[in-house]
Amino acid sequence: MENFASLLHGFGVALTTYHVTLMMIGVLLGILVGVLPGLGAPNGVSLLLPLTFTMDPVAAIILLTSMYWGALFGGSTTSILFNIPGEPSSVATTFDGYPMARQGQAAQALTLAFLSAGFGALMGVILITILSSWVAKFALRFSSPEYFAVYFLAFASFVGLGAASPFKTIVSMGLGFAFAAVGMDTVSGGLRLTFGFNELLSGISFLIAVIGLFGIGELVLTMEEGLHFDGIKVRVRARDVVKTIATLPRYWMTLLRSSAIGCWMGITPGGPTAASFMSYGLAKRLSRRKDAFGHGEPEGVVAPETADHAAGSSAILPMLALGVPGSATAAVMMGGLMIWGLNPGPMLFIERPDFVWGLIASMYLGNIVAVLMVLATIPLFASILRIPFAIIGPIIVIVCFIGAYTVAGRPFDLWLALLFGVAGYLFKKLDYPIAPLVLAMVLGDKAEDAFRQSMIMSKGSLSIFWSNGLVATLMVIGLALAFGPALSTLASRLARPKTSSVAA
Amino acid sequence: MINRFSAEIATATLTAGLGLTAVIGALEFGIGWGDAGPEPGAFPFYIGLLVVAASAGNLFQTITHRHGLQSVFLDREQAVRVASFLIPMVAFVVIARLLGLYVAAALYLTFVMRVQGKYRLITSAASGIGAAVVFYLVLEVGFQVPLLKGPLEAALGLY
Repeated sequence: MENFASLLHGFGVALTTYHVTLMMIGVLLGILVGVLPGLGAPNGVSLLLPLTFTMDPVAAIILLTSMYWGALFGGSTTSILFNIPGEPSSVATTFDGYPMARQGQAAQALTLAFLSAGFGALMGVILITILSSWVAKFALRFSSPEYFAVYFLAFASFVGLGAASPFKTIVSMGLGFAFAAVGMDTVSGGLRLTFGFNELLSGISFLIAVIGLFGIGELVLTMEEGLHFDGIKVRVRARDVVKTIATLPRYWMTLLRSSAIGCWMGITPGGPTAASFMSYGLAKRLSRRKDAFGHGEPEGVVAPETADHAAGSSAILPMLALGVPGSATAAVMMGGLMIWGLNPGPMLFIERPDFVWGLIASMYLGNIVAVLMVLATIPLFASILRIPFAIIGPIIVIVCFIGAYTVAGRPFDLWLALLFGVAGYLFKKLDYPIAPLVLAMVLGDKAEDAFRQSMIMSKGSLSIFWSNGLVATLMVIGLALAFGPALSTLASRLARPKTSSVAA
Repeated sequence: MINRFSAEIATATLTAGLGLTAVIGALEFGIGWGDAGPEPGAFPFYIGLLVVAASAGNLFQTITHRHGLQSVFLDREQAVRVASFLIPMVAFVVIARLLGLYVAAALYLTFVMRVQGKYRLITSAASGIGAAVVFYLVLEVGFQVPLLKGPLEAALGLY
């Protein structure tokens, strides 16, 4: 009940004309970056972040989260109409969304996608409302070793649960930590790893990395594949929307199951992409109409969309309550919070309740605004993709570099963005995961501080990470997540030595 | 044509090199125990070692699975497309450093539209200049965020 009262207070904070206008602008910009190739939620938020430095934190976070919702919706739109996922997390939506659109059911597919996405997001936000202050209260008991264990757990789950090779995940993560270490050392205040370059004195901003890796890298990849958009023309009529809404209760089981998967994957750093695939797979396996999947089965749109958005919104929970973001976009937003002078984690609930609950309330409103706006404006945005790439491509490039410059006003960052762009292209082609790198860059200093303070507490003994039940449990779960999959592959290989299984 | 095997080897070598750079850089700042706990170089040192070790793991996996990695990483046509995108982009950054972002943006958009989009020069140039003006209005006037400027802005008195 305490949460409910706080939430009502939050609505009071969020429901002003200014904030609702910001939500609408955010959603529109979000749909735009979601629809455009090469721009997605993480670097959309990175590009917008420097423009919010002067804003009030509540208004700024409302703008950014609304952009996040819009980007998720935009990603689903291109999946359905163009068979091009605007976001990695909407790949699974193309499986049935595009066939539906080709069969002349584009409006139905879009409506179903948006509504189930809205439902999933709502479930995520409800989860946040119920759990956040409880998690935050629990986390108040954490000191440095526990924090280090939580960070360890987050990165261990990337290594163990990620689709990529564990070595590649570790390389990506380690490079992130190394980049974060460049510049000023937060404990001693001294400079390090600058190798005599004045440009590196103030460090490497994670925003530059995101703009390069996600934005420019993605564009190079899009160019390499050669572009041809065969979009399906669509008109969303109110009658189709109402009809489709009437069919939604039929999928209640899928909606609930997918929300549960999404929420779980969002809180743990599995992320929206894994959630949408898992949810699609389960829906297919459990459906009575298995054979229809892949050929335009509505349930095949509902399942991944619900999970994607449930994961996207619940990824905010660990970011707010623990200071450990559950997705790349959440990591960028957390970086933003730190730039605005807020410290994500349990203390935020005590020091800035208006900010926390205003944000949570704005997530309810933002999603409703997003569903309505996306339904109203989608034909307009779909037509943007018909602009030839020779025009839209260079404009996206210019926007990325302008974004990189506005982060700190340093010309050197333009080169850094370019380098990160080439690296992002290589990493994507060779299946190196990028999210761990971004997370490591954002969390680098905090993780290092936690580690060093733990070492000071224990006078240099690693045994502090086993010193009490809480920290030991976290470490054991982390180790199990990191090494579990590798050990089970090894065990099965030892059991059947003849089959040469490739550890992917 | 580049195959996947060479690309994997090259990238793993590169990441190992970056890891090694962190290790060497960290040694300069001490990796042991100082007056205030672990010295500043300690964390980057071990992170660097981790990167080197994982890169070695990647190299090992690549070599042991050599036969599965003979697929094409980049063929001639793709290489041309990537180069035709990257080279103007590098030129854009160089020009941006010399003449400022607005001039570079206008030139870059004009060039790509003219050469790759096969638009008429007048259309391309108008779009390029138009885009630069829109960016100026949105950023400098709307958000009051200053961008990198060059001699042209100085001559026009836009500071």
